[in-house]
Amino acid sequence: MMQKMISKEKISDLIKELQKEFKVFGPVKEEGVVLFKEITDAKEICLDYSNSKIPAKSVLFPMIDTLFSYKKEGKGVKIIENPPYEKTVIFGIRPCDSMVFSLFKNFFSFGKYKDPLVLNRLKNITIIGMGCLEPRTTCFCTSVNGGPFNKESVDVLITEFKDNYYLESITDKGEALIKKIKSLTDADKGDLAKIEKLQKDIESAIPVIEGLDGIYTKLDGLFDHPMWKMESQGCIGCGSCTYLCPTCHCFDVLDENKQDGSGRRIRIWDTCQFPLFTLETSGHNPRTTKLPRVRQRIFHKFNYYPKNYNIIGCVGCGRCIINCPVSSDIRNIFISVENISSKTEG
Amino acid sequence: MTDKSKEKSTEEWKPKIIAFLCNWCSYAGADLAGVSRIQYPPNIRVVRVPCTGRINPFFIIKSLAYGWDGILVSGCHPGDCHYISGNYIARRRFAILRDLMTFLGIEPERLNFTWVSAAEGERFAKIVRKTVENVKSVGPNKIFNKKW
Amino acid sequence: MVINIIDDIEKSIRETAKKLLEEKKVDLIIGYTKGSIPLRSGPCFITDASQTGMLVWNQSCDLNLAKYLAKNDDRKIGIISKGCVGRAIVHLIVEKQLNKENITIIGISCEGVLNRAKIMVEIGDKEIIEANIEDNKIIIKGKDFNKTLPLQDYINQLCITCHYKIPPISDIIIGNKKPEKPPKDDFKDLNEIESKSSNDKMEYFKKELNRCIRCYACREACPMCYCSLCFIDQNKPVWFGKTADISDNFIFHMIRAFHVAGRCVSCGACSSVCPMGIDLNFITRKLEKIVKERFDFESGINLEAPPPMGTHKFDDKQEFMIEED
Ligand code: SF4
Ligand code: SF4
Ligand code: SF4
Ligand code: SF4
Ligand code: SF4
Repeated sequence: MMQKMISKEKISDLIKELQKEFKVFGPVKEEGVVLFKEITDAKEICLDYSNSKIPAKSVLFPMIDTLFSYKKEGKGVKIIENPPYEKTVIFGIRPCDSMVFSLFKNFFSFGKYKDPLVLNRLKNITIIGMGCLEPRTTCFCTSVNGGPFNKESVDVLITEFKDNYYLESITDKGEALIKKIKSLTDADKGDLAKIEKLQKDIESAIPVIEGLDGIYTKLDGLFDHPMWKMESQGCIGCGSCTYLCPTCHCFDVLDENKQDGSGRRIRIWDTCQFPLFTLETSGHNPRTTKLPRVRQRIFHKFNYYPKNYNIIGCVGCGRCIINCPVSSDIRNIFISVENISSKTEG
Repeated sequence: MTDKSKEKSTEEWKPKIIAFLCNWCSYAGADLAGVSRIQYPPNIRVVRVPCTGRINPFFIIKSLAYGWDGILVSGCHPGDCHYISGNYIARRRFAILRDLMTFLGIEPERLNFTWVSAAEGERFAKIVRKTVENVKSVGPNKIFNKKW
Repeated sequence: MVINIIDDIEKSIRETAKKLLEEKKVDLIIGYTKGSIPLRSGPCFITDASQTGMLVWNQSCDLNLAKYLAKNDDRKIGIISKGCVGRAIVHLIVEKQLNKENITIIGISCEGVLNRAKIMVEIGDKEIIEANIEDNKIIIKGKDFNKTLPLQDYINQLCITCHYKIPPISDIIIGNKKPEKPPKDDFKDLNEIESKSSNDKMEYFKKELNRCIRCYACREACPMCYCSLCFIDQNKPVWFGKTADISDNFIFHMIRAFHVAGRCVSCGACSSVCPMGIDLNFITRKLEKIVKERFDFESGINLEAPPPMGTHKFDDKQEFMIEED
């Protein structure tokens, strides 16, 4: 572990130094919306944000992802592979969102099928996370094995303290990286203890929410429970909760052609909340109403994920609560599950 | 407009125009223009439809998305529709579509609607000339070009 | 004071709902309830008279509840209807999508709803912990800030020009039965965009629609988008692209707008549900203007008037047709 610091004013120096070796992605504010983009001008970066509207999964798993391109040549078709993925740094990502990267590693290499695109990107990405000084009231990361300064899935963790950013290397990759950066100075030892206390205070101030304890086993008997009718009646079936959820990773594959005989195969985000998601070629659709779709979202995150990968498929970022147009609150579902299962037990 | 080079380049550029013509009148009108050897610019490609009422706005938008520079839709004069009211329904549809597209920033010069009867070969040729002129005045359609 | 009227309305909504359920006049009440974050509301579905305390009425009740009605629903439903919910019901009846018999319209005199996206732009990325409306001001509290905004500047534009604050038909009316109508709508709010050049218009809309992530909340919240298969989801054949690329976004929104022309009831639900804060109502306002000026039609006002796209006149204006010259 290595501790370094830099004054807030000098942050662009740090970014510029990183840019020499890496493609740097960071939070940028565009039209009032914070999202992760490649930083071209160090001044663009917006570190005074609570969390991005579009989760940073978009770096690893973009909304439109080219699998390969092609071009007609004579009678044949020439396949054009993607250019090699450059070494990349994701700067300023929140610890909840970075948890997703290890989650995706599981998902995209489950069983026989390995997704070369995502796995290769993961190898080339270094994550510089930034702790949350002001968690939102909708955050519940501490209830799903995370925390505002969670170190589990970052290479370097930054904590803002007074006029400085403190950088702590977590992995070897992170240590190697911050060793190289000249604009960093050694951390002020006196502050380190204070920072640790600050982190603990903020973390313990996040309320632990009800009903998440053992939700995996509780859900097991509830697949056919009438609660899903209640939970789904207000849902309008849009994609806000899933598109903007950092852990959702469903996609659709399609081909795009241009008139000049070139084209590409792409994948785009898709979601289990849309009817087309489960429509089979035969015309049969196993999930015809909102009920099974709403249930699928909860079961996938809180039952299938724990079963398949031994982790919870939610990082507690609260985006689904903030963005749902009908104000459906996932926390209320936990409570319903809790109430129902305690009733049946007792 | 006084810029000589600009004038020259628009002269060289040949717009691609897709024409949706009603089977019962404008298509026959176009035919008549052909048989009567009336000259008109070769920029249009004709799609024959049973009635202007058959023209889904998708056809128009998809054509623009595919890079056609302009659209011409022509059907029977009011009162002459083979199916009695197809052209009236189409007229309302195109009025709204054109207003909406203009509001969104698509140049109205690309969207040309008119009536041509089976006997109006001369008129058809003039309408095509006018359409080409309109489309030329706004240049190539790059509205829906994707970046990749 | 505004706040009192709203409180009274809320109280009468609860009482009315309770009575209707107790007297078994309805099986279900569809109304608004408090959202889980400030400035949000959600729908609620009440079958039990003891739960009517959940019902709320305030300036964040921005959904169009008509979305939750369906033709094949044979329950007797009481629906809390501000003007535009009522208009949506009327228009859906005109389009033969609803039967009036089973629906009890509980009309509410509406003072307009807030434009949340505009407030969020003003507040920035900070979290709002509490928001109240007092004395025509919106008072917003966050962790380390307070902000007071003038209410009238943050009322939805569609509500400012709305002439139908109570539903055109209703079984019960709560609140002001003869609300004041604003002056004749002159669509001044569109002037700025309309006067731009084609290029600038396109730039403006492209910039705005570029943010769209294609979550389709706008479509799903719209009472007029009831197709069982939306054009954008048709895949035999595929008509238009489903990617979030600006060219595909532009086409999606253009066609969706076209599909609601002469049908849109100016409720603003499509904009207020958009998670990306995209203002789609510039487009729907234009549609309102087009059908008003061309066909002298307003949707959802009259059960007898046929929708403009389903009818025609011999002498409809055709000034846009090209002529030989
Ligand atoms: S389910 Fe909701 S709270 Fe959990 S990670 Fe997804 S968006 Fe965040
Ligand atoms: S965001 Fe809300 S309305 Fe949309 S699908 Fe999710 S739960 Fe349903
Ligand atoms: S388009 Fe928007 S404003 Fe019009 S009815 Fe639909 S949701 Fe309401
Ligand atoms: S956009 Fe058109 S096709 Fe899609 S749901 Fe709305 S009206 Fe139907
Ligand atoms: S709600 Fe907003 S982001 Fe979602 S599809 Fe509509 S415009 Fe796009």
